[in-house]
Parts: sequence; C-alpha cells; structure tokens
Amino acid sequence: MRQLFSFSLLSFFSLCFAFLATAADYHEQLVLRPLPLSALLASFNFRSNTTLSAFEAHNFRFFPRSLGQILQHAGTRELHLRFSLGRWDAESWGARPWNGAREGGTGVELWAWLEADTDEAADHQWLTLTNALSGLFCASLNFIDGTRTTRPVMSFQPEGDHPNATDTNTHLLYGVLPHEVVCTENLTPFLKLLPCKGKAGIASLLDGHKLFDASWQSMAIDVRPVCPPGGEGECVLEIEQTIDMVLDIERSKRPRGNPIPRPLPGHELHCDTSKPYHSGDTCFPADSTANQDWSLSQVFGKTIKGTCPLTDPNVPPVCLQVPDARSVYISNGALEKKNQDGVSRCFEIEPETTDFELLLPSPEDLPADNLQAGQEVENIVKPETPLLYAERSFTGHGQERGGVQTILRNPSPDKEVEFIYMESLPWFMRIYLHTMQARIEGTSPSDHDPLIQEVYYRPAVDRARGTQLEVRMRVPAASTVFLTYDFEKSILRYTEYPPDANRGFDVAAAVITILSPNKNDTRSATYNLRTTSLLCSLPTPDFSMPYNVIIFTSTAIALAFGGMFNIIVRRFVAADEGPEVSVGSLKQKLIVPLRRIFARVKPGPR
Amino acid sequence: MPRLISGALRLRRDPRILKLPPYLSLLCILVGAVWLFLLPLQEYSRRTYISENALLPGQVHTYFGGSDQHVFRAYKHEVNALAGKTNIEINTELESIAKGLGLKVSRQNFTYTSAGHVYTGENLYAILQAPRGDATEAIVLVAAWKNAKGELNRNGVPLLFTLARYFKRWSLWSKDIIFLVTPDSIAGPQAWVDAYHDAHDSARVDSLPLKSGALQGAIAIDYAQESRFESVHIVYDGINGQLPNLDLINSINNIAGGQMGMGVALQEMWRHNDQYPDRLRTMLRGMLKQGLGLASGPHSSFIPYHVDAVTLQPFGEGWQDEMAMGRVVEGTFRSLNNLLEHLHQSFFFYLLMQRERFVSIGTYLPSAMLVAANFTIMAIALWIKSGQRERGDDKQDKDGKAEGEGEAEGKEAGKEVGEPSSASVAVEREIFLPLGFVTACQFLAFLPLYLFNHAPDSLLTPLFTIFAILNTLLPHVISSFLTAYYTPTTQQYQLTKSFSLLLLGMFLSSLATLNFSLSLLVGLLASPLTFMRPWPSSPAMRIACTVLLNAIAPTAVLVASAAYWQVGVGEVLREAAFAWDVYGMYSPVVVWCVWWPAWVAGSVIVLGRPAEGRGKVKTA
Repeated sequence: MRQLFSFSLLSFFSLCFAFLATAADYHEQLVLRPLPLSALLASFNFRSNTTLSAFEAHNFRFFPRSLGQILQHAGTRELHLRFSLGRWDAESWGARPWNGAREGGTGVELWAWLEADTDEAADHQWLTLTNALSGLFCASLNFIDGTRTTRPVMSFQPEGDHPNATDTNTHLLYGVLPHEVVCTENLTPFLKLLPCKGKAGIASLLDGHKLFDASWQSMAIDVRPVCPPGGEGECVLEIEQTIDMVLDIERSKRPRGNPIPRPLPGHELHCDTSKPYHSGDTCFPADSTANQDWSLSQVFGKTIKGTCPLTDPNVPPVCLQVPDARSVYISNGALEKKNQDGVSRCFEIEPETTDFELLLPSPEDLPADNLQAGQEVENIVKPETPLLYAERSFTGHGQERGGVQTILRNPSPDKEVEFIYMESLPWFMRIYLHTMQARIEGTSPSDHDPLIQEVYYRPAVDRARGTQLEVRMRVPAASTVFLTYDFEKSILRYTEYPPDANRGFDVAAAVITILSPNKNDTRSATYNLRTTSLLCSLPTPDFSMPYNVIIFTSTAIALAFGGMFNIIVRRFVAADEGPEVSVGSLKQKLIVPLRRIFARVKPGPR
Repeated sequence: MPRLISGALRLRRDPRILKLPPYLSLLCILVGAVWLFLLPLQEYSRRTYISENALLPGQVHTYFGGSDQHVFRAYKHEVNALAGKTNIEINTELESIAKGLGLKVSRQNFTYTSAGHVYTGENLYAILQAPRGDATEAIVLVAAWKNAKGELNRNGVPLLFTLARYFKRWSLWSKDIIFLVTPDSIAGPQAWVDAYHDAHDSARVDSLPLKSGALQGAIAIDYAQESRFESVHIVYDGINGQLPNLDLINSINNIAGGQMGMGVALQEMWRHNDQYPDRLRTMLRGMLKQGLGLASGPHSSFIPYHVDAVTLQPFGEGWQDEMAMGRVVEGTFRSLNNLLEHLHQSFFFYLLMQRERFVSIGTYLPSAMLVAANFTIMAIALWIKSGQRERGDDKQDKDGKAEGEGEAEGKEAGKEVGEPSSASVAVEREIFLPLGFVTACQFLAFLPLYLFNHAPDSLLTPLFTIFAILNTLLPHVISSFLTAYYTPTTQQYQLTKSFSLLLLGMFLSSLATLNFSLSLLVGLLASPLTFMRPWPSSPAMRIACTVLLNAIAPTAVLVASAAYWQVGVGEVLREAAFAWDVYGMYSPVVVWCVWWPAWVAGSVIVLGRPAEGRGKVKTA
C-alpha cells in the first residue's frame, strides 16, 4: 500500500513537473536601454518557479537547492536580498528600472517575512537566515545583528500571496549593511543559482570586470509565493533574480587589456566645429553626442553564448529600447521583432545559435535618407520622469552634533505625491525627534497644512538596537520639501571602533516608498527609491594616544609612588624644630666623622 | 626631601628671591627670541616625510596631456571671450560647458557687507559623481575667476574644466570631485564652504541645493600667468593662522618636485638656497602671515572646517606648460583619492623653512611660551612684592621723607638684604582701584574693536588718525585723573601692573597654542611693559619710557607696518574689517582686547606718581 502510495505520489510529481516544465518554469530576459550622456542600462531578469508542495518535499528543479534549504530551515516565507553599488542618476536617467522595486541602497540590504510564533523566535530565525546567507553569498550578512535590524511597519508590503499568514505569526525583519562593498565574490554565487549558471544564455554576458565597473549596479534576489488568482490551482514559489547595471559606454568600450583613459589622438576627438576658433590644435569637445554606437561585444567584452536550453522559448531573451527609426545589426540566427509601442524591439535567438551579437550604429552612420533634421533628440527613448527626486545630506560640522537634510522634489505639475520615508539609523546617531520638520522651499514650516501625516518612531537603545523612523508625508505638486532633523553623536568605547582604517561610519540609505495615489487601494507601493548613504564621522581617539597615556601614567605612578613611600617611612618635623641646616652644621657633620677616621688611622700617643 | 622642602620654604622668604623676577623675565624674553633664531639650523629642524602611507604620492603615472591640450585651448578661448563680462554671464556660459561634460551643476549667490562696501557674487560649482561611489566623500578643485591679486585666472579656469573632462573618463574615483568656480578668491569660497557645512547666515548667503559627502581635501589653482612656468608656489596659510595637514604639502612637494621635476617654492621665496638666511626668511614670512591671520587664497576658507587645502600658483619663466600643472593636480587628486581616513597623521602645527624642512610645535612652542611666561612671572612677583612691606617703606613711614626718595630707599633696601625680619611683615592689599582700572581698560578695548570693524570705508583713515592722537593722550589723562582723585600708592601701581600682566600672560600663553606667531609677535612687542614702573623722581626716565611706549603702541605699530608695506592705513583697516566680517579673523580682537589694554595700563603706570602711605600693617 505504502509502495503504491509513494509510487503514485512520485508519478503525480513527475506529471506535475512535466506539466510545469512546459508551462514555463524558467525564463530569462535582457533589456537594453540607451540612456542620455552615453550610458546604457542593461536589465537582466531570471525567473523560475517551483510549486510549494514540491518545495516542501525537497524537490528542487529550477529553484536553487542551496537557497531553498536555507529558506526552509529559517522558516522564510518571502525574501528580498539586494547588493548595490553606485548611484542612479535620476536627473539624467529618469525613472528607475522596475519602478525601483528591484534595487537596494549602497551595500547589502535584506528583508524577509519569517514565520515564527514569537518575536524572539523570529529573531532567532533571522539570525539563522543571515548567517546562512552570509555563507552562501560571501557577504558579511552575519554582521546584521540586533543593532542593524529593524521591523518596518509601513514601508514594506509583501509582494507574494500569503493566504495562510496571519499578522501574529509572520514577522517582517529588515537589515542593512551600508558599508559592504559588493564585488565579484558576490556575483559568482549569484550566477550559481541560475539553471544555466553563467555558461549559456544572457547570463554569459555577466562578467565581474564589466559589472563592477558600471556606474550603477544592483543585484536582487526575490523569493515569494505566488498563487493563481481566484484560488484555483497550486501556489508556486517564485524566485526572481535581477541584475540592473548602467554602463558608461565610453568606459566599457575600452579594451580590457588597456583600460587607461589615455587622451585620444587629436584627430579622433569629437569637436564642435561651429566654434570660430576650431582648428587642428583647438577643439571644443562635443562629447555628449559621441559614443552612441556600441555592440554587445564592445560593452560586455563578449557575445551571448546562445540561449539557455531550459528557458521558455516564448519569451524573447534580448530586448532593446530604441526608437524604431534606428537600425540595429544582429548576427545570423536571430530574429528581430518590433513591438507595437514604436520604441522597443526584441530579438529571438534560434536554439542552435552559438553566438549572438548586436550592434547599434551611431545615428550619424545611418543612411542619409533616414537622417533628417531634428532627429538627433530622438536617437534614444526619452527617459520617463520619476515621481520624486530625493537627495539626502548631512548638515552642520564638528564631532558633537549634526543634522540630516533630505530634499524631496516633486516634478509633477499637478499631482501630489504621498510616500513613506524610512530611516534606519545606527544607535550612535541619537536623533532629536522634536527637531524633525518638513517645510516647502521658500516658506516657513507653519505656513501650510502639515506635510508630515504620520510618524512611527522606535528610539534606539545604546548598543542594542538602532533608531527606526518611518514618516508618512506628502509633497505637493511642483514643489520641493526639505525634511530636516538634528542628531547627537555618541562617543563609542574604544573597542567598538572597527579595527580597520577609520573612515567614518556609514549610515544606510533612506528608503522612500511612494504610495499609490488611489486612496481606496491597499496603499501599495507604486515606486521605490533610495537616497545615497551617508558617512558619519564620530569623535575618534587617536589610537596612538593610549600608548602615550601608558607612558605618562607609568611615569606619574613612579613619581607618586616614590613620594608616597618617602612620606610613609619618614618622620616630618617643622624646619625650626629640626636641627639647623646651615653651612656650619654641614661642616660639623663632615668634620666629626672625618676626625673619627683620622683618630683611628693616626696612632694616638699611648 | 623634607629638608629640601624646608629649605625651599626658607628660600621663599629670602628677599633676594624678589630681586630675581625682572632678570628672570628678561632671560625668558631673550631665550624666547634666541630660540626662534636657532630653529632654522640643521640640528633643530627636521626633514619632512610622508606620514600617511595611503597617500602614495607620485606613485601613479599621470596621463593628462596630449589631445587634452586641444580641449584646453578651446576652453581658454571661451574664458578669454568672457573676460570683462558680468558674473552672471560668465556663470551661464561656464554652466553650459560643465553641463556638456555631464556634471551636476548648481549656483549660489552671496552678499557680504563690510566697511560700507557690498561684496556680492555668484559661485558656480559642478559635481562629478564618483562613477562607482556613493556620495559619502568629496574632494574639491577650486579656481577663482579672479585671484587674490585681482588678476583674471586666465589659465586656471580653463584648466579646471579640462581636468573635469579628463577626470570624468576615469572610473577609479572613490570620492566625488567638486569643481568650484568663484568670482573672487576670498568671499566666494568662504560663502560656499560655509553653506556646504550649513554654517552660513542664510540672509546673506544662499544654501547649496546640491551637495555631496564630507570634504576630504581641496586644491585651488591660481594660474593667471600667461607664459610657461618654472616652479609651483604652494600657498598654505589659512584663516587665523590655521594650517593644512603637512602631509598634503609634502605630497604636492613630492609630486611636483619629485615626479614632475618642477621647483617648489613657499612663502614667496622665489629663490631658495637652503642656507640659514633663506630658511630664516621663509620661516619669518610664514610666521608673519600666520600672525596676521589673513586669508591668502581660495584655499584659506576650507581650513577652519578641517578640510585640508592649498593653493597652487605657477611662477617663473620655464618650460612647464599648462598640462604639467594639470598633471600635478591629477597626481595630487589620485593621492587624495587613495585616502581611507581623513588626513590626520601628520602635523597641523608646524613652521616650514624650506620645502623639505620644518619644525613641529614641540620644538617651536617654548619660544612663544617663554615670552608669555615672562609676563606671568613678573605678575606673580609683583603680587608677592605688593603684599610685603619693604624695609625702605618702614623708614619712609618713620622719617616722613619726601615721596621722591622712596625709590632710593628701595635701592638701599636691596643692599640690606639678609635681614629676614623685614620680609615677615605683611601688608593688606588694596585691590579695588587696580582691579577696577584693569577691568575698565579691558572694557574700553571694545570701543576701538567696534569702531574699526563697523565704520564705513571713507571714515576709517580719519577715525584712525583721531584715535591715534587720543591714544597718545589717553594715558596722560587717565594718570592725572587717577592722581587727582584717588592718589594711588606704589602698592596700587604694583597691583595694577600685576593684574594687567597676569591677563596678558594668560591670554598670550593660551593663544600660543592656537596661533603661535600672533602670540609671539604680540608678546615681543609688549615685552617692554614688563619693565615699566613709575618714575616719580626721574622725569628723564619717565619721558624716555613714555616715548618708548608710544613707539610700540598698537597704533604706532600699525602705522609703521602700513608704511613698510607701502599701503595706506585705511587700506589695512578695511582689509581687517573685511576679514572680520567675512571670515571671522580674530587678530583685531587680540590687538584691541589683549595688547591694547595692557599697553594703556603700562603707559599709565609709567606716568604714575605714587602717593605716600601704604595699607595697614598686619603681622604675619
């Protein structure tokens, strides 16, 4: 009976797998979008599913086993992990890819929904999770301890479906390591999670040299349960791996063997020939229009090694977002399909192709009949304006106290933006909540209705937990709001300084979650953005000083000991009570023993 | 040990000890002055060295050059075309250049009012965001449109933009680079740095809309010279005598002198043979600049915010071109980029006497401290003396001799030392008048301070003339007033002098740790005050002392130095008022509130006519 049951179970699963495999368990896509100022955004997306039942039965197919076991062990329902480096330049590049949902602040960011009965149990599982992930991703995630962990209340909403979850047994924990430098050792384990590793498909473009030379890059792993709408069918656990990077085309095109930006030979400079002084040795640079041509092998250093055989053939692996007017050259064995919107096209690669190359010529190289006046601005897709610009910096100077100022600008002419601003600050930045104020540029704080609508504040406990501050606020249309608050810097114990060079302490990026304008909605996030991280310098002892102090104290103790010892063992009398100290008495003192000696030496008359 | 103590106690009562302080004071002054002149000797100064290993100056190849020169020429054409235009027009044009390079550009308005003049302008700055970095740290490259002498920074501004374009190509920057163009060399950078650290008065100076991280260093280019140059002049004096970290100067020295093979000059010593006279001259020039505390270039404003900064000025006729200057800046920026920590390793208090020789604070500080200590020694001696009844006074009381003979008696008393009984008689000190007088002098000092910092430019010279005349008459007026109404005694004169010197010694010794040169300068100029005393019997001495004091009066010194450097007194005062209003130079406070009250007290004491009679005798 049991055998029969297990056999039927097995056959059921194999059937399931066969079914799911055909219904696209894995797909990958690379979206390339040229940005202004000769930048190129490359978004890699890899997505695979496994049914929850298969997951719980330890049957892993596309879902990486190493990660799956960690998640099971730590009771994780949903996980989001981010490795980021650099800055997204919203002024030039516009809105963020994925509406900011697939990026983190500088360093490493991790948040997860854990299933646990109590807070303590959740903390324990969180510790397990961070330590295991630390080993898996070669990142210092194990340093996310109590002082760096917060439990956000408003900022994060689960992305997946949690039908069985209740508020009491699901815990959201959020940890961030702003100082972690993301590098190749984090990319390798990331690629290992993919079904085709980095060997085939679009992942073959990913190379540490190019990825970490990018102006901005973000690696994300999102694991979430997804249930089909209407409650029919089985829920699946979906893992999505995303890499977004912005390459500087000029920098990327430099050969790997010679990456030094030597000055170009004079005749290769792009010059503005309209200048009256333009000549052979005088050149006003026209760099902004240069470098609009590139090919995959130029910017990534290699071509795409075919397609991953496991990927869903219905999803085109490479898409390019340029206006339809621009021509694109592709290698044999690929098919170009233009989309309806007129600004993007996708390429299907035939399975037997071994190398896929894509070349975007510069607009000047276009055939003359295609190039008309006024087309220069249309060379690239105009970036979408983001909903909000945010800029955060420190104010004040000195080692004792300081302030934080966040400038929030709403570019929209008619729409108000409502969002949640979240800061998780280290405990040694003690903020003065009463100094927190928001004002619209050019007005005083009391002039208008309150911009801050709701504040959730959890104060820091020294050496135990950091400050958590969540502010729900709004920025009226076409205005700039300054959100400021002051803080005091605490003095650390000398053992609390990290042993490396004292650069200062990084303060994690603020997370801004823009809420959907529809008030009846469940207040879901429509757009996320993060500010840059900050560097907070604390009063630092000069560590050569303890050495000096040791010397000084030793000397002082030696002197004091000598004096004390003397005082203890000697008897003191006032000067006039004691014997007269004078030259005469000294002479007497000298003479008496001398006489005695003489008396002994000289044989007296007997 | 107890014997030693009792011996010391006995010694304390010895009247010979009280004869010692004037000689001790004189010795302090002499040793202090001689000490200073020993510093440039090979044995007392040290060779500079790079203390921060992360800097690695001169270890990288610099690639700036080649076709960058073509770009430089184009930018120079642009800058030349802008010469003579208004600040706003210039900034609009420069902004378009910077935007074309892909930098984040912003502007800042500022207005300062000083001595009736309004200094207004607009700063332009552009941020090159570190390609892979976050906005946590930044280094600044400054080129003022007009340098400190008012010349157009003809090559500096184009070089700044050429370097910006060049730096943009590198991906190795770990810190943001901020390019700052200011209309002038002092007020513009000051407004910008103040606003960057939110220490500005927002009514006069705009806040910065665009910011980066903590500033780690700044280099200013002052390259107004048209022709090719030979050497680089490093200007490093900050406001109020503060100095940048020595490592920064050493790095530039290493890069320019070692890697690029240029000469490096300090303190306008265009030729330096590394012998004693040249070293001394360099050191004294440095001390004078430090003592004055004036801003010497665009870098000066950064130093009070603990941002190490220098100005680089090419000079001389040689074969180095703009690209070489650019490579010096490139090398320095690569070194600063290496920094993991803020510059803190090397010295902040030093005197440079050649590009590779310096003395650190431990070596030179005793000089100023000794000079300051001489006042304190004298003050303590006078306090003790005023509490003791001298033998001469006893006789005076008994015999009722004329007051004029008091001094002669004093001398006799000196001969009759060795009689311990006379010293054991103590006198009650009448401290109200001396204390009141010294306090009044200190408060009176706020008058010239306020007057010269707030008077309009046109009134400065006449006001100063009137003040100088009044200043000469003031001691006479006070003295006759005191004699007429209070008839102060010798003891009260002694106490006045004691209090006045005590304050002076205290102020100067604490000032020595902040601004060594200013303390030493004021200390030396005020040193005759230690030896001033009433000359009731000798009108010749009194007149001689008065003349001497008037020759070293703050006003006289001001006039003399203005004449020496061939500038008008009004000009000096206007500059001082500007420095006070814009960047908070505190030298006027030291002159008017430390030196001047002591001088007034000293002058009054010289003119004093001590009355007979002392305080009540009480037995010790």
